[in-house]
Amino acid sequence: MSSRHLRFRGLFRKYFLVLFLAVVIPLAANGVSEAWLGYRDQRARLDQLLGVEARSAALRIQGFLDSITGQLGWLVQLPWTEEPDERRRIDALRLLRQVPAIVSLTLVDGSGRERLYVSRIGLNRTESHTDRSGEPAIIGARSKRIWYGEVSYYRGSEPYLTVAISGNRPSVGIVVAEVNLKLTWDVISAIKVGQTGSAFVLDAPGRLVAHPDISLVLRGADEATLAPFQAIRKAVGPAGAGFVTSRDAGGDRIAAAAAPVPGPDWTIVVEQPLSEAFGPIYTALWRTGTLLLAGALFAGLLAYALARRMTDPIRKLEEGTERIGAGQFDHRINIRTGDELQRLANSFNAMAAELAVSQERQERIAKLKRFLAPQVAELVDRTGDDGVLEGRRTEVVAVFCDLRGFTAFSARAAPEEVMSVLSEYYEALGTIITKYGATLTSFSGDGLMVLVNAPVPVEEPGLQAVDMAIEMQRSVQELIIGWRVRGHRIGLGVGLAMGPATVGRIGYESRFDYTAIGSVVNLASRLCASAADREILVDTKVAEAVIGKRALIRLGMRRLKGYDEELPVFGLSFDRKPDAA
Amino acid sequence: MRRREFISLMGVAVGWPLAVRAQQPAVPVIGFLSSRSSDVDASLLTAFHKGLAETGFVEGHNVAVEYRWAKGRYDLLPAMAAELVQKPVAVLVSTGGTVAASAAKAATRTIPVVFTTADDPVKGGLVDSSNQPGGNLTGITARLIEAASKRMELLHELLPMASTIGLLVNPTNPATLIESSEVQVAARGQRVVILSASTERDIDLAFEGLKQKRLDALLIAADPFLFARADQLIALAAQEEIPTLYFRSEFAQAGGLISFGSNFADFFRVIGLYAGQILRGAKPAELPVQQPTKFELVINHKTAKALGLTVPPSLLSQADEVIE
Repeated sequence: MSSRHLRFRGLFRKYFLVLFLAVVIPLAANGVSEAWLGYRDQRARLDQLLGVEARSAALRIQGFLDSITGQLGWLVQLPWTEEPDERRRIDALRLLRQVPAIVSLTLVDGSGRERLYVSRIGLNRTESHTDRSGEPAIIGARSKRIWYGEVSYYRGSEPYLTVAISGNRPSVGIVVAEVNLKLTWDVISAIKVGQTGSAFVLDAPGRLVAHPDISLVLRGADEATLAPFQAIRKAVGPAGAGFVTSRDAGGDRIAAAAAPVPGPDWTIVVEQPLSEAFGPIYTALWRTGTLLLAGALFAGLLAYALARRMTDPIRKLEEGTERIGAGQFDHRINIRTGDELQRLANSFNAMAAELAVSQERQERIAKLKRFLAPQVAELVDRTGDDGVLEGRRTEVVAVFCDLRGFTAFSARAAPEEVMSVLSEYYEALGTIITKYGATLTSFSGDGLMVLVNAPVPVEEPGLQAVDMAIEMQRSVQELIIGWRVRGHRIGLGVGLAMGPATVGRIGYESRFDYTAIGSVVNLASRLCASAADREILVDTKVAEAVIGKRALIRLGMRRLKGYDEELPVFGLSFDRKPDAA
Repeated sequence: MRRREFISLMGVAVGWPLAVRAQQPAVPVIGFLSSRSSDVDASLLTAFHKGLAETGFVEGHNVAVEYRWAKGRYDLLPAMAAELVQKPVAVLVSTGGTVAASAAKAATRTIPVVFTTADDPVKGGLVDSSNQPGGNLTGITARLIEAASKRMELLHELLPMASTIGLLVNPTNPATLIESSEVQVAARGQRVVILSASTERDIDLAFEGLKQKRLDALLIAADPFLFARADQLIALAAQEEIPTLYFRSEFAQAGGLISFGSNFADFFRVIGLYAGQILRGAKPAELPVQQPTKFELVINHKTAKALGLTVPPSLLSQADEVIE
């Protein structure tokens, strides 16, 4: 029972695993490849996005500076004269008002002398004529038209940039402007990368020029503040080389990309928290994971259901065959799957039906074995056909045996002795009957009747019957020697007759016997009754069958009980071996 | 007996959540110390709350503010600052000149102080440097004192012929000395006459003496008390028909002739921002003292006309606002 259960589970598990994996493996492979491709796509997208953001941010910072230099250009269009230029002073003051980032303006004429200085909060100067031609701003502007100085910190805090612009000819002079870079805050804080990403600007030596958190910029040249920003720029490497991952001042992982601000040689770095930059990937991963899980669950359910569907009929088959095997032939396996399994079940059902028929016959044959010679029984068994037992008329040899003096003996002897004698007697005769393939039709007490040539025909039935009778006599005579020693006076007489008789089964229900009906039976019985001890009496037909082959003794005509006329009777000698006769 | 125990246990069980709630930290308290009065500082408070909101704080919701108004009496400031420190408060905001900031600084070395000053905070001894304050103080400077020389320059541009110029100061404000020296530096041959007033009565007296002093124009020194007396000053200037230059645009908008100074009210937003950032854990030592970048020139053309003055175009072109 337990092994059967185990086998069932094993099959179920196999089916379940195969079905489950068949769904889950492609699903997982698809999910993983999709996630990987998605990750690559997202990286490429991020690379592109941050690159674009960096370049656009650089353009905006450059735009901030360009708008200032564009305005400054107005001041270097007309040549200076030696007279004070009131018009230009008003222009400069208006420019201060127009461009809030400009802190002060210094206007220098063609020969490098300061002609005008206007300041947002300091005192203005006019016509001071201080020689400024040696200053880097003036030299720079003369060679490059637009010159950007280095970032310096006003009072150690506010980042100031000096910008100098020369006109298209030396006589118009040069304007030097101090620009408060704190005002880039409007620009830099407006740059949003994604949801929470931002940008910052570093100058060439790595000082913070612009950052959305203005207080970081106002800390000035503070190494501790600047270090994380310089680290990011270093990680990004040369501007435009794609994005990198780094850590911001707070230690959070970020994706960063850089672009140059060409004018003042600054670098703008755009950064986005990695969690946000890879947000879509994480979302996709979650989605894939959830789908995979749901898919696996579904696959599990499906596999379970399918495996059940497959193993259930098999289990039914198994159970059915077991029941049929146990002899329950009326059991039918009920499978309605409409496939091979149903066909198999139908075969089993047909087999069970056939088995039932077969078993019925077997039972019938088993009963026949009792009176049939084993060879005959085997034949019937083998062919599965008991048709030979059907009633018919045929030529048979009827053989009767009967003990002489048995009635007197049985009346005298103890029952155990009687049964012992009978047992030895039948044992001896039974062996011989079997040996000769004769059919034992009936026995009662000390007498028995044997048929030869029915139900199975034999060659030379007469000879066969005679040989059998001789052997019977010999065998029993040996027993008789023993019995006589024990003081029993018993002998054996045998009678044989040959002729046509009706043979077949008679009886009812399970009580069947095979018998022969006809005068030949009668005759054999009379011959037996007439036979003395050690005598084998045969009729004419038997004698004719064995004449010349066995030693016959003509006993002449005898009057037999129940017969009106006397009949010729022959005796058989059995003292010597038949083959020697 | 058992029943009584049960009832007392029930009492504990019911009382427990209340006790827990009581133990929870109360909303942080900001001490707000001003040398002016609440009505004068109304616009500043608006900016202050705006700054606080940027860091997620709303007064009465998740932060409480304790206000102390000295109403021009600078001698009250130290006691008020000490009282706020005793409460204690999480952050102390001081506004109304270096006097208030100094009082706050004197009151505590541990509680963060966010100050406003009109002067240079380094020279005033409030912080080590603008970019790295170093101690428990940070804030903003309005650079109003520094701009005094510019005001003198502008006054000269408006009235090139003026030779005697009065400077009205509050002698109780230590910044007075610096401002008057700034004005002297910017003077181009003009005579500068110092007028002092630290009470309402003083102001009246100062204006009564104007005629005798033959002043051509008047400068009002940057001082919280004087700002608080804006209406009185404007009225007296009109009455005495004296061209006056002020340090905050509110003066010109209220009828003063001309004003030059940073937009203090807008800038005050940083105070709220800093207070909020400190409540969120920022250290004042690392928050740079911020300076204004924008200085506004406001001219009241109506007042100019009333005084019979012609404002030169060079000045009008510089004006951020001209009140017609």
